[in-house]
Amino acid sequence: MRLEKCWFCSSTIYPGHGIQFVRNDAKIFRFCRSKCHKNFKMKRNPRKVKWTKAYRRLHGKDMTQDSTFEFERKRNRPERYDRNLTEDTLKAIKTIDKVRVKREAKHHKLRIQGKKAMEHREAAKELAQSIHMVKAPAALQQDASLTLPKMKVKVSQEKSQENRMEE
Amino acid sequence: MAASSASKLFRAGRSLLGGLNKNPTYPSELARTSNEFTCMDIFSQQQRTFIQMRTNLKVVDNSGAKRVMCIQALKGKKGARLGDTIVASVKEAQPGGKVKKGQVVYGVVVRAAMQRGRCDGSEVKFDDNAVVLVNKQGEPIGTRVFGPVPHELRKKKHVKILSLAQHIA
Repeated sequence: MRLEKCWFCSSTIYPGHGIQFVRNDAKIFRFCRSKCHKNFKMKRNPRKVKWTKAYRRLHGKDMTQDSTFEFERKRNRPERYDRNLTEDTLKAIKTIDKVRVKREAKHHKLRIQGKKAMEHREAAKELAQSIHMVKAPAALQQDASLTLPKMKVKVSQEKSQENRMEE
Repeated sequence: MAASSASKLFRAGRSLLGGLNKNPTYPSELARTSNEFTCMDIFSQQQRTFIQMRTNLKVVDNSGAKRVMCIQALKGKKGARLGDTIVASVKEAQPGGKVKKGQVVYGVVVRAAMQRGRCDGSEVKFDDNAVVLVNKQGEPIGTRVFGPVPHELRKKKHVKILSLAQHIA
């Protein structure tokens, strides 16, 4: 049993899921679901589609380099079965997963931090530049030129009986 | 007085009609848009189907035939799928090959554009429809097989084709 990766979105394909397309040069494209298969048929580039892993990696939205990814690599060398080794591996999977999740959360937190500080700075700058446009409500009340003058508008008359008939 | 009441009635009637007119427009519009969507889907990607009578298939061995036309699927009501055996007539052949144009031959479908379920529930599909010519006993006529073939041929007892193949998908 082998867990493959989707060609389009790079998610894990569990046995019995998805579809695989074999090109005439024997290259195999595996897809996790019909959504990815359809996007492939529409000739979309996964690097340009925002929800794929390829896009997120390319644009620095996800963690790219980490030692936890090394464990989940495809190896072409078959491993000789060893009961103790298997047991250790199963234990290690949980720990590694925890570490990875923690590091990912940290990565996202760091990314958000920079963005928030930048937004704050820009807002402060805009405020400093255009403070002269802001007037206090009390000032508006005192100076008549700042508000629109009040006007009296005539209410339109009801239509006469003849007009109604013509309709 | 009478005129005014009549005009009121007229207006009321018109508003009712307007209401009636307004309501049915929505469903019809919706139906039209959904139709357009389905049409677009069909045009963008052709629906792949079974290998049936008059399907043209590429021959991917060195038996001498280049193109065959399916005239009968040996199993299945709707037609043949990946791994099934068909009866075909040779439409194009190379000069000096083992089979001649117009000959009726047997063939195993080794590639099909229509997807086929695998034993684990996933599906597999190929680029084109291709066939390997065999005799009545199921032994391949040619001595080479080009391109990828599915491993399901082993279940269908075509181990010879699998061993000749370049790639197994």
